[in-house]
Amino acid sequence: MNTSHIVENLKKEIENFKTQIKAEKVGKVMEVFDGIVKVSGLSDIKSSEMVTFSNGETGVALNLEDDAVGVIILGDFSKIKEGDEVKSTGRILEIPVSNNILGRVVDALGASIDGKGVIKGNNPSTSSGLSAYPIEKVAPGVITRLSVDQPVATGIKVIDAIIPVGRGQRELIIGDRQTGKTAIAIDAILNQKGENMICVYVSIGQKDSKLRKLQARLEAGNSMDYTVIVNASASEAASMSYIAPYSGVSIAEYFMDQGKDVLIIYDDLSKHAVAYREISLLLRRPPGREAYPGDVFYLHSRLLERACRRNEKYGGGSITAFPIIETQAGDISAYIPTNVISITDGQIFLETDLFYKGIRPAVNVGSSVSRVGSSAQIKAMKKVAGTLKLDLAQYRELEAFSQFGSDLDDATKRQLERGKRSVEVLKQLQYAPVKMEHQVVIFYALTKGFMDDIAVEKIKEFEQGLIEYTERNAKVFYKEIDEKKMWTDKGEEQLKKAIEDYKKSFK
Amino acid sequence: MATLSSNDIARSIYLLIKDKTTAERSVLYEKVVKFLFKKRLLSKSGEILSRLTKIINKEEGNLVAKVSSVEALDHKTKIHLEQFLKKRYSAKEVTLVLSLDKKLLGGIKMETNDEVIDLSIKNKVKKLQEHLTRE
Repeated sequence: MNTSHIVENLKKEIENFKTQIKAEKVGKVMEVFDGIVKVSGLSDIKSSEMVTFSNGETGVALNLEDDAVGVIILGDFSKIKEGDEVKSTGRILEIPVSNNILGRVVDALGASIDGKGVIKGNNPSTSSGLSAYPIEKVAPGVITRLSVDQPVATGIKVIDAIIPVGRGQRELIIGDRQTGKTAIAIDAILNQKGENMICVYVSIGQKDSKLRKLQARLEAGNSMDYTVIVNASASEAASMSYIAPYSGVSIAEYFMDQGKDVLIIYDDLSKHAVAYREISLLLRRPPGREAYPGDVFYLHSRLLERACRRNEKYGGGSITAFPIIETQAGDISAYIPTNVISITDGQIFLETDLFYKGIRPAVNVGSSVSRVGSSAQIKAMKKVAGTLKLDLAQYRELEAFSQFGSDLDDATKRQLERGKRSVEVLKQLQYAPVKMEHQVVIFYALTKGFMDDIAVEKIKEFEQGLIEYTERNAKVFYKEIDEKKMWTDKGEEQLKKAIEDYKKSFK
Repeated sequence: MATLSSNDIARSIYLLIKDKTTAERSVLYEKVVKFLFKKRLLSKSGEILSRLTKIINKEEGNLVAKVSSVEALDHKTKIHLEQFLKKRYSAKEVTLVLSLDKKLLGGIKMETNDEVIDLSIKNKVKKLQEHLTRE
């Protein structure tokens, strides 16, 4: 170790060091309770402004009252005492971001928690190289936006075919506990490999073990390369859960500002609402329905409104949001579910009954809807899946009806048989996303009746073999789908022949 | 019914006694105490009075500044400080509350209302420490 070198460097640093003389606004801690601090003084403080405590902890001013300021503490509040000095910073709460955040797990304040060291940046204008993004930002205006017309391939057949999602859309995933909500989100992330999409997964109030499992799964699929995980776990204070989704969307905005497409998953907003209710009640804000504060709608609407597709003039890029809501006993008419349903551009509704019947993903096609996604669906998919939703609805109706008697006409029988096969085709294993072109082939075979004489229990096997066979023998069709997103007569002929040939060999 | 904050009460008292003569004020003081007693606010009287002091100081252009230093300030520095504070806060009168604090190591620290101007060596060393230990 070169001592003189160290001393020289230190000397240089000290010589170059200049302190700024400035008047600082300070306050005094009057009360501390459950992560909330009442502070006197701090005149001229703004709402959502960051404050620092004498022990180095940070907080955010939420309640600006006549003679006190209500502050939530972001971190450990056990060491804050009455009479401690609190300084305002003049800055709205912000998080550090850089391209190196990809592949990392960070907390709600953007600090790494994965044990891989400090996240460094390459922004020359800051000493740390990290750019600071405010966590609260007004959503992009109407002029800057584009309508949703580019698909997000989730790799889940039932979603891509019936409830398609477009870039810039907000699609709610809603269902009871243990119905596969997170599984859908993870499959969607896994399928973004090579799709030029950045993924942000925001875990709010979840178990750390669940997150660890999820991270391992993403790492196994090499999906962490384009993913950031923001974690506010169940063991952290409610304030961290409250700010986590805003931090997540700020990270997403950082990438969108570079013209990239981003997929963000909020898992889940029910716990976010609960964390906000806790904070609001502690701040003594008046409770409303289900004890949530009056602005709980705005809490989610301002967050989800930041998902958008921006036009080229304003930098391009998009943020697609998958908020998740957990319902209690399938009650979608509770306060938070209805709020978020009305904010989003559609919902994927998962049902416990379907899950236990073995229909997985347990998507209830009748109650699920995508309000803007159909314009983002590729032409070929639209063509093969156009009538699928209606067919399934008719099948369900006939299924109930057919239970009363066995004397059915041929048309009804055909419809029932087709329905059974459709349900079977829409079943899918977890962590096994299907490429869009493969989905087109499967749905083509289904809707054109090629699967009608295949036994229901053999459908999965048939599907798998069909993909492999057509990939080898219907190359023109695949090429057309890849390049033009639609087939021509030539490609269709080749595919038909390939399916027929495969059927002959399939036993 | 909305609750009355100490600030509201202090402001009301100030508006009540603002343009009154000394004789009139002594009658009003008695009424204020009776009001506080009736509304069971006497326990908050300390807080109300400190609010009232702040309001009067603000309205009348009086400024109370706490100045801490390691050694007692000389007369010239005090005059200089008073002039500086008068100008900065557009105050008519400045009252300096002086105190000695060895922990400052050197320099002075001024506190006015909720604003602090820290020119102490202790603060500079702390800033230097933050600068040298930054990541």
